[in-house]
Amino acid sequence: MIKRKIAILLAAIVMLSLITLSACDGTNKDVPSTGTTGTESSGGTSADERIRITYAQWGNETETAACQAVADKFNAQQDKIYVEVLKIDYDNYIAKLNTMSTAGELPDTAIMSEAGVLTFAKNGLLYDISEMYEENEAKPLDCITFKNNGTPVAYSAANEVLNIWYNIDLLKEVCEKQGLDINQFTPPAKAEDAWSWDEFVRVAQTLTIDVNGRNALDPNFDPNNVDIYGCCVNILPWQLEVWCLSNGGGFFNKDGTECIINQPEAVEALQAIADLSLKYHCAPPVSTAATALSTSLGTEKIVMATDGAWNVGTYLGPDANFEYGVGVLPYFKEKVTICTGGPNVVFATTKHPEEAMTWLKWYYQEENSWDLIENGTWMPILESWYTNSELTDKWINNKNYPEAGMYKSAVVDYAFNNAVSTAWYYVSGTDVFNAALDTAMSYVWTGDMTAREAINKYYDELNRIFLENN
Amino acid sequence: MDIRKQVPDIKGVLGMNNGGQIKSGRHKPFLTNSRKEAITAYLCLIPAFLGLSMISYIPTLSAFVLSLFKWNGMTSPEFIGFDNYKEMFTIDIYFTDSLKATLVYAFLAVIGSMIYSLFIAILLNMNIPARPLWRSIFFVPYMLPAIGVYTTWRWLYELNYGLFNHINRMLGLPPVKYLESPKNVLPSLALIAVWCAGNLIVIFLAGLQNVPGVYQEAAEIDGANSWQRFWYITIPYMSPIIFYNLLMALIINLQVVTPALAITNGGPQNASMFMSYLIYRYAFTKYKIGYAAAYAAIFFVLVGIFTAILFATSKYWLFYEEEGGK
Repeated sequence: MIKRKIAILLAAIVMLSLITLSACDGTNKDVPSTGTTGTESSGGTSADERIRITYAQWGNETETAACQAVADKFNAQQDKIYVEVLKIDYDNYIAKLNTMSTAGELPDTAIMSEAGVLTFAKNGLLYDISEMYEENEAKPLDCITFKNNGTPVAYSAANEVLNIWYNIDLLKEVCEKQGLDINQFTPPAKAEDAWSWDEFVRVAQTLTIDVNGRNALDPNFDPNNVDIYGCCVNILPWQLEVWCLSNGGGFFNKDGTECIINQPEAVEALQAIADLSLKYHCAPPVSTAATALSTSLGTEKIVMATDGAWNVGTYLGPDANFEYGVGVLPYFKEKVTICTGGPNVVFATTKHPEEAMTWLKWYYQEENSWDLIENGTWMPILESWYTNSELTDKWINNKNYPEAGMYKSAVVDYAFNNAVSTAWYYVSGTDVFNAALDTAMSYVWTGDMTAREAINKYYDELNRIFLENN
Repeated sequence: MDIRKQVPDIKGVLGMNNGGQIKSGRHKPFLTNSRKEAITAYLCLIPAFLGLSMISYIPTLSAFVLSLFKWNGMTSPEFIGFDNYKEMFTIDIYFTDSLKATLVYAFLAVIGSMIYSLFIAILLNMNIPARPLWRSIFFVPYMLPAIGVYTTWRWLYELNYGLFNHINRMLGLPPVKYLESPKNVLPSLALIAVWCAGNLIVIFLAGLQNVPGVYQEAAEIDGANSWQRFWYITIPYMSPIIFYNLLMALIINLQVVTPALAITNGGPQNASMFMSYLIYRYAFTKYKIGYAAAYAAIFFVLVGIFTAILFATSKYWLFYEEEGGK
């Protein structure tokens, strides 16, 4: 009896050891081996003989379920392709894809962070998707096409542009307090009427009032006791690029071959953003709250703030406790905004590029992501939605959007006529670059350095990052 | 189960039940009782050792090996010798700042949380009303999800609309840049760590309850005041607990990463660019995995040095009653 017990004990030890070993095995049980390594299963067919492809995404449970529903819809229409949705946690997404790449187990297609696309492309991991659309087909806007040395490697699944958003209720209140004509202080909705930077600063100063009711143009204004601020510019590094472009400069030159953030145009623009708070006192001192509308306009103590169009669906529509409006950005020399949007990619390792592109092309069609467009989170990517008034009306004439005429000129027309690509569409390593820029700008926001001093101090590092990645 | 009772059966199972040899006494048997116990113990340790090897020892060794390679995680690693270390010590603009931020934060957080938790534990050890409730209140912060804690504190500290600055304004004081000033950010973050030190309070509390009351009473009879009783009786008896808490707090706070991830992104001006956060950034946003491994190796040595110092100095102040008060 005791011998048997000992035998069982030893067997249990062996079993435990095997379980431990198998748990540490590199094979990922969550990820089917489909579509990656060229094995039979990778290019294999399902029981119903359809070609299986995998699509990786980072959604939470709800988003994954929504994505799965879209894939189910696609699968129901298809007799040749079957899409399997993989869920990878957002926090570990790129690390996981790196690991899968090393193991030769990349999925066929995946959503990707904007800044990660060209890094993967430079390493030969993305498929050339220039054949996804025929010559005569409606294509996604050129400004949301990721290009590696001129070759398209991804399209954004949505379009987003930067605008100025404002709290109409607060604007009325401030204008009434000071006896101002509200029309002269409402951000223009048309690009042709856009405020120059100096006009913008003057308006923002007028709308900034201290606890004694004096505005920021008043010599007795108390900058240490401000009640309402006129503006707040989003200081996320990638959004700062738009001001450098507006001033005739940029982070990089237009073909992405040179880092030009140290040139006067860029430096002056960056200093102008800092001066809103440091010099003109019409923006709150930069804090962690200056990176989203929910934490800037959301305080209901700031009249105008800059940020992306996705806020209609993620904050302004569902959560804002005030009536809001949208206008075009002020400008230095050029009336410009930047566009961006999360892309989907086809991995070069796939055995089924045609099927992968068929799936993504179908996924890109506006009617297949209509919920996100209808609630204002996504803007369409196909040109026809910006040029065909019937489609535009279908898109913006709904209760989730602000007044349609204002939105059309301030967002739709502005995005079509004045938007240029954010740097990560043609420059690799922008996430690292932006992190270093964030550090450099932290000296400027506090007033410890001028923009010139900070950029001079960090230019070697910024340029090294650029050269290492491009 | 008494393992000694198994001995005859082990012999049987292993086929070593050679009665002639054992009974004759001419040769010392290979499987003595102590050896059998050792073999059983080692067999039982195999699963734990295998598990630890896979998730701890081998990855640690691998990190040292990886630090000698240039690897972005996507292409084949390239052996570059000590170039990663050379770059870290010569070119890297973050290395000095990260070292400074890590050490200053750990110092503030460890000292602050040790003093705070010992003080609170002493209070909670007294005969106060609703004592279980108070114990729960001080322990709860430790149980809260870190991201929730740091998000809340971020809003408390917020420069323009945060609660603390709102109170300052109400009192007619100027706003304080808790997180926006490079001078203030580390003390502000360390304060959060102190607030979350509920685990240390519990351990101190357990230690305090084991300090023999007889010595306290004897000292009181001899005329010792409260401070003398605390310093000459409580503290020596608590020294092993203090050592344990100090060691754990030191290691945990040197490895700090969450405040930078949740609030500061290493800023302002690199003032909170903690080493663990920098390792994360190099590995998972810059794709310089070999370089991050080199950082991890240096960080490992750093933590090892501080731990060794703590152990080396402990003999001068640790008190064990069983060892005659040495």
